[in-house]
Amino acid sequence: MVAGVTHGFAMAASGFARPAPAASGPGPAPGGRRLRRREDWLARPASFASECAEVVVVVAALAFAGWFVPVSYHFFGYVYLLTVTALSLRVGRWPVLLAAIISAVTWNFVFIPPRLSFSVLDAEDSLMLGAYLFAALIGGQLTARIRAQEREERRREQRATALLDLSRALAGAPTFDAAAAAARHEADELFGAQTTLLLPDGGGGLAPHPAGSFRLNESERAVAAVARQSGRAAGRTTEQLPAAAGLYLPLRRADAVLGLFAVQLPPAVTELTARQRELLDGFAAQVALLVEREQLRAAGEREQLLAVSDRLHRTLLDSVSHELKTPLAVLRSAVEKLDTDDAPKRARLTAEVRTATRRLDHLVANLLNQTRLAAGALQPQLDWCDACDLVSVARRAVGDALAGRPVQVDIPAGLPLVRADAVLMEQVLSNLLLNAARHTPPATPVRIMARVTADGTQVALAVADEGPGLAPELQGSLFQKFSRGAGARAGGLGLGLSIVKGFMLAQGGDVAAGPGPAGGACFTVFLPHAPHGAIPGDDH
Amino acid sequence: MTTDPTKPEILVIEDEVQLRRLLRLSLEEAGYAVREAETAKSGLHELVHHIPDVVILDLGLPDASGETVLRRLREWSPVPVLILSVFSQEGSKVAGLDAGADDYLTKPFGCSELLARLRALQRRIKPAVAASRFKFGSVEVDLAHRRVRRAGHLLKLTAMEYALLQLLITHRDKVLTHRQILRELWGPNAEGQTHYLRTYMLRLRRKLEEDLDTPRYFQTESGVGYRFTSEPAEAV
Repeated sequence: MVAGVTHGFAMAASGFARPAPAASGPGPAPGGRRLRRREDWLARPASFASECAEVVVVVAALAFAGWFVPVSYHFFGYVYLLTVTALSLRVGRWPVLLAAIISAVTWNFVFIPPRLSFSVLDAEDSLMLGAYLFAALIGGQLTARIRAQEREERRREQRATALLDLSRALAGAPTFDAAAAAARHEADELFGAQTTLLLPDGGGGLAPHPAGSFRLNESERAVAAVARQSGRAAGRTTEQLPAAAGLYLPLRRADAVLGLFAVQLPPAVTELTARQRELLDGFAAQVALLVEREQLRAAGEREQLLAVSDRLHRTLLDSVSHELKTPLAVLRSAVEKLDTDDAPKRARLTAEVRTATRRLDHLVANLLNQTRLAAGALQPQLDWCDACDLVSVARRAVGDALAGRPVQVDIPAGLPLVRADAVLMEQVLSNLLLNAARHTPPATPVRIMARVTADGTQVALAVADEGPGLAPELQGSLFQKFSRGAGARAGGLGLGLSIVKGFMLAQGGDVAAGPGPAGGACFTVFLPHAPHGAIPGDDH
Repeated sequence: MTTDPTKPEILVIEDEVQLRRLLRLSLEEAGYAVREAETAKSGLHELVHHIPDVVILDLGLPDASGETVLRRLREWSPVPVLILSVFSQEGSKVAGLDAGADDYLTKPFGCSELLARLRALQRRIKPAVAASRFKFGSVEVDLAHRRVRRAGHLLKLTAMEYALLQLLITHRDKVLTHRQILRELWGPNAEGQTHYLRTYMLRLRRKLEEDLDTPRYFQTESGVGYRFTSEPAEAV
């Protein structure tokens, strides 16, 4: 206490110069202006008691010094008047009043003859004492009031500057996260405390924004929940759960609490002055605006996404129902006419039924494949496969779709085995073969080739046709779902190639499309190539 | 349920009533006597009392997995079993075959394909003509002297190639899973080493198949195994 008081007195004596800003605490050294702002905010206003004590000590110290200095008591009256005026620049109105009274009393007791007595001999001295008291009271009060006004002015300016800084930082941030980080930074700077934003996490709870510097434990989260529910500030310095480490201010817009602004105050701070709370509230209001803006933006985005997915859904439903209904319609009408006695007609109808069932079968398989891909439920069973085998199985699977076309298979005898899922590869290759069959004129040849790529890291399997080739505008969307060539004949959902791509990626491979060696289109699938171990009994 | 002792009898264990009706229709027309069971439990119950000539078992029964039924059945009977699976059930299909099923069909399947498979199964259970010679296409295998000729010319086969050929011929018209073949030829430790099998199958086909691009006799069952067919039926 004494040290503090002496320090205060030293300050008073040295022309009220503020102490040089001491570097307080770790962290990036901010500019002097910022640091002063922070100290201002956190500086506890000197308490009434300590100001009074300061006054008493100053007056007593002067009396003690005056005792040994041979000056007239008139002169000492001026010294006291000056001191009271000086004190009025430092302390509040009531301590100044106290200073005026006790300095008058001390002056009378110690200096005005008879010394060490309250009695006054001279009428002139009585008058002088009266005038002194009057002057000290008025002067002290006036100076203290002006000083208080000036201090208030400065605080208001600081607050305005702080909020302006914040809004400038927020406006300049390109994204919400950047803005939140900027707000957090400004808050840390301004309040010298650790701050964080608590925002709804989508599951009904609150999650700290990743930019925050303040980590919450269980009990702090409970305090935050109270602040959110009540819509009023909770935690340290409030009447709601003041034992908490943090102070939680609701971010309010209209009647809703959009989130919380959490401040972890230094342990010594147990209460805030009105102006400190006001500054915090102003800050929270700015941040609430920011959060609201973000929520509106996210809502707009969600709306847009919903509209897009709704459109996609409708397209899918339209094409799926068309694709399913066409073969069903064929089946129904063919079956109704099957009891005809006309044998050739019946054979034709049976052929139609067969085609329709195959089409349905293929469609269902592709829908199931697409669903497996979309659900992420696909777990390829990678095993050693022989390219010849994969190709012959796929050819068998597509059946008569390739009927009437010359199919050339070009697989070198020494082609190594590949790691692949045989069942997925059957789907991949049969989709490519059906694709070739669907998009090229009847009877044009289809070529199937297999090679180790030039760099030796992959095995490539290619299906090339001699059809019209790929339209350049289709290149970008070729492997996307529901993408179909503009001139494509009716039929097909546009799922085939997207499944090829999905299955190849799942097996650690890829697919590419380009012009074929004999014109037309060529689809090449790649599988990673790695040598397998030795084979026992290999006596070749 | 009348049973004509001259007709081969088939037990259909399948929960879909429409499919059961259709199977009954086509099987009876093809000259089989058909019995039905709706669940795994009632199927096993039927099997305990009377062993049919062939069992058609759906893998997707409501009360137990087909694999369980097969393991129970194999405790007392080697009756040929044909399993029915649906698309994307590769795992249970292989498990069923490993558990002792003889063949499989994936739904939807054609009736003629089913009948061809059934005929093949019956061929197999008839005591094979203890012939020491076996012929397919232009290939003649002399099982007694371990000699293989193609179009009259003696072929040189390595011991392992011959062992694979012999295994496939012994189990002709039956699907052998990768695991079954690997265990038989290379021992239980080689069950995962599919590349042994792929390599030898490729060599065997190169020596014995007429057209390597569309093998007729040594057929691949994707993700399951191989089947040797001496009388290939055209796929329908």
